[in-house]
Amino acid sequence: MDLIESYKEELQLIRKPWTRVWVGAFVLALLLLPWYAPEHITYVFSIIFIYTVGVQGQNLLIGYTGQISFGQAGFLAIGAFTFGHLSRLGIPWPIGLLGAGLAAGLFGLVVGFPSLRLKGPYLAIVTLGFGVAVYQVFVNSEVLSGGRMGMIIQKLSPHFGLSRITYNYYFNFLIALLFTLVSYNIISSYMGRAFIAIRDNDIAAEVIGVNLTFYKLLSFAVSSFYTGVQGGLYGLFLGYLEPNMFTFMEAITLFVAVIIGGLASVEGSIMGAAFVILVPQVFSSFKEMVPVVYGVTILIVLIFEPYGLYGRWFKMRLYFRNWPFR
Amino acid sequence: MTALLKIASIETLYYDRIYALQGLSLEINEKEVFTVLGPNGAGKTTLLKTIAGLLKDQPNKGTIQFMGKRIHRLAPERVSRLGIVYVPEDRGLFRELTVKENLDLGCWGRKDKGIHDDFEFIYQLFPILKERSKQQAETLSGGEQQMLTMARAMLRRPKLLMLDEPSLGLAPLVARHVYDALSQISQAGTTILLVEQNARMALRIADFGYIMESGRIVLEGTSKELQENEDVQELYLGLGGETVSPKGWRLYKKRRTW
Amino acid sequence: MTNFFQYVVSGLSTGSIYALVALGLALVYRSTRILHFAHGDITTAGTFFAFTLLGLNLHFWPAFILAMVFGALIAMTFYFCVLVPAQRREATQLGQIILTVGLGLILQGLISYFGGTEPQSFPFPLSDTKIYRLGNVVISELSIGTFGIGLLTCLFLYLLVQKTRLGLAMRATSENLPAAQTMGIPTRGILALSWGLAAALGVLAGLFLAPTLLLDPFFMLEPFLKGFAAAILGGLNSLPGAIIGGLILGVSESLAGGFISIAFKNTFAFLIIILVLLVRPEGLLGEEFIERV
Ligand SMILES: Nc1ncnc2c1ncn2[C@@H]1O[C@H](COP(=O)(O)OP(=O)(O)O)[C@@H](O)[C@H]1O
Ligand SMILES: [Mg+2]
Repeated sequence: MDLIESYKEELQLIRKPWTRVWVGAFVLALLLLPWYAPEHITYVFSIIFIYTVGVQGQNLLIGYTGQISFGQAGFLAIGAFTFGHLSRLGIPWPIGLLGAGLAAGLFGLVVGFPSLRLKGPYLAIVTLGFGVAVYQVFVNSEVLSGGRMGMIIQKLSPHFGLSRITYNYYFNFLIALLFTLVSYNIISSYMGRAFIAIRDNDIAAEVIGVNLTFYKLLSFAVSSFYTGVQGGLYGLFLGYLEPNMFTFMEAITLFVAVIIGGLASVEGSIMGAAFVILVPQVFSSFKEMVPVVYGVTILIVLIFEPYGLYGRWFKMRLYFRNWPFR
Repeated sequence: MTALLKIASIETLYYDRIYALQGLSLEINEKEVFTVLGPNGAGKTTLLKTIAGLLKDQPNKGTIQFMGKRIHRLAPERVSRLGIVYVPEDRGLFRELTVKENLDLGCWGRKDKGIHDDFEFIYQLFPILKERSKQQAETLSGGEQQMLTMARAMLRRPKLLMLDEPSLGLAPLVARHVYDALSQISQAGTTILLVEQNARMALRIADFGYIMESGRIVLEGTSKELQENEDVQELYLGLGGETVSPKGWRLYKKRRTW
Repeated sequence: MTNFFQYVVSGLSTGSIYALVALGLALVYRSTRILHFAHGDITTAGTFFAFTLLGLNLHFWPAFILAMVFGALIAMTFYFCVLVPAQRREATQLGQIILTVGLGLILQGLISYFGGTEPQSFPFPLSDTKIYRLGNVVISELSIGTFGIGLLTCLFLYLLVQKTRLGLAMRATSENLPAAQTMGIPTRGILALSWGLAAALGVLAGLFLAPTLLLDPFFMLEPFLKGFAAAILGGLNSLPGAIIGGLILGVSESLAGGFISIAFKNTFAFLIIILVLLVRPEGLLGEEFIERV
């Protein structure tokens, strides 16, 4: 699309001055949102930010490295409950979140091992089995899941004279922003290119010197780190956890977000997260129709727009930039 | 005599941008053997696949007519049902099925009485297939596989039989056997379009030949004309050239006339 | 020891359900190389359809047959109206798998909308409580029926695939699609038929499962995952593998539930599969299609 002339330019996050303006305006709009939007919108956006983290992680795995995982709910649960236990021990949230990510990442490594031998459907079933196993462990072990009534977590107490909702909003916004920047960094580094090489042809990638074992495992670890952090954020936000939040459907929701947003795109992940959170809100009086909307969107996206919402956006942008020429 | 197959300036592309055939035309008459010769990558396989309809939405331009009806961009099943049978380079066998099952699939869609006679005919051409009928196609030798795929093609009673390099990877003796069978098939009245690199063998049984290079027909003529053409002799038959230089080597590459 | 046989017998009965589901998945994978994530939802749709028909006072057997046809129609419609266009647009394999996820979500929503999410009990001609004794082993009428139907279906499928011309064409199409096309075999039709047949088998499994579980829009989720696991265990492209995988999974799960812990029944099943896959990445009887670089 645009000619990149130097390595420095390639590394730049935002290349066009106008894009800079747009992104700035967008971020500013988000920053000011709690001051003009009704409270429940602020609330919903906070959840979107939380999901953004996990969807980006999932996209790193599926979209960039090309490894299917249906076990994401398992990582989510591990992250959430790790965070819960740490927070009950009185450990402050930054360390708690880090712990949540690390615990999930560690399990990601374990699940990643089969990926060294298994492909496609076989890997899908192993990750799926992992998700089911984690769910059952939490359901059956009250020690881990914090008892029959679920686990109560101390919520963040607001500072700076902000209301709780506003404070939570800014908190999650900043964390989502941080993870988005990290994602951009990953994909434009050697690591990201190694992931893409593995996705496009793992044998060829190995031949040109990508350490397959290392990068496949790394991809699993990083992706589950993200997902684990999402779990922790979720627990912190809701102040309450129970195993039923982490069923197979949750894994499917993350999966759907990646597909609809657009495989292998950070912006897409954000759009996808917004999609899967907003649709249930819009259709709140027709709960049954939510999966139908997801499904129909998937069909449309895959048949007509394989690059997802981001691809559509990209084409629209190109169209307007070149208008009236085509 | 009207042409059985008439191809008019077709273009075939891979991935919408790699030209494999560029404005190629040829005609094939009934009951004759036609051969298309050319080096690797000339587009011979692409030509046959285009005719058979195996390349989706190709040819991009041009027309193909078979017995007066247009067949370009038809589904391969439809092309096949019109009586055009394609024997691919990799032989297209069902490797996990037995020899007999492969042959039975050749009769797909046929219910006439002639099936029995056709089996007789192919077993007489290739007696070995009868012995091997319970064996998996995968376990046959290369020559036997080629015979099986030709036999299976004959069971479809082809009006036009297209073969892609039938001698590929075969020992000379086996290749000769295959070619003997081909000339018998031709004598029985089947039109054959034969793609080959082995020009000598192909021209021996062909009535008419085309030379193809980088997606175009560069020379055509009867088999005899081609065999007498100096360029063909040098480039495809490995004749001539020795006498060009008194010292035994040549200072420059001879310019082709096409 | 009696316990052991008791667990094996009940495991064989659930195992034949898994085998039916796995057979459908294997049929689809063999012919189109697609992991069919909507299989469970098609099954649920078919079972709900049967439930509705029974509610209209239709007799059992016609209702069941119509339900299987209904499931098959959904699958074939999906094949022709979604997969074929997607393939024409060069959808990747992952893309086609995701399409089935999409179909699954749509069906799931529609079933919840039309069928309601309340669990309902499913009337059935065979009784769950009528019990036969074989020595010390107890077996219900329904279990016998389930196992019997499983056996019959396997026999039917074996005859269809191995002994008929149609089966020959199915095997040919799944092995070498372009060659089958040049033989003039109507490959689209054959592939659609495989999808339809798979769905019918799934609905059959759902019908025999519904009386023991309560019928709700998610009642097939777990059996579907198990069937999936069974198919993988046996090797996704092998039909005998699907049957064996289903039976092994059913029996081992029942034994694990009986002797180790009922709570971790599901986990245990997946554990077995992961272990098998680590030793044989392409399943017990499977041969993965060769990949060229
Ligand atoms: N599947 C393909 N994708 C892209 N290009 C191809 C493909 N098959 C063949 N080609 C190209 O088309 C040209 C003709 O190939 P082919 O018909 O196989 O030649 P021949 O059979 O005469 O050796 C070659 O340049 C080749 O690189
Ligand atoms: Mg060739």
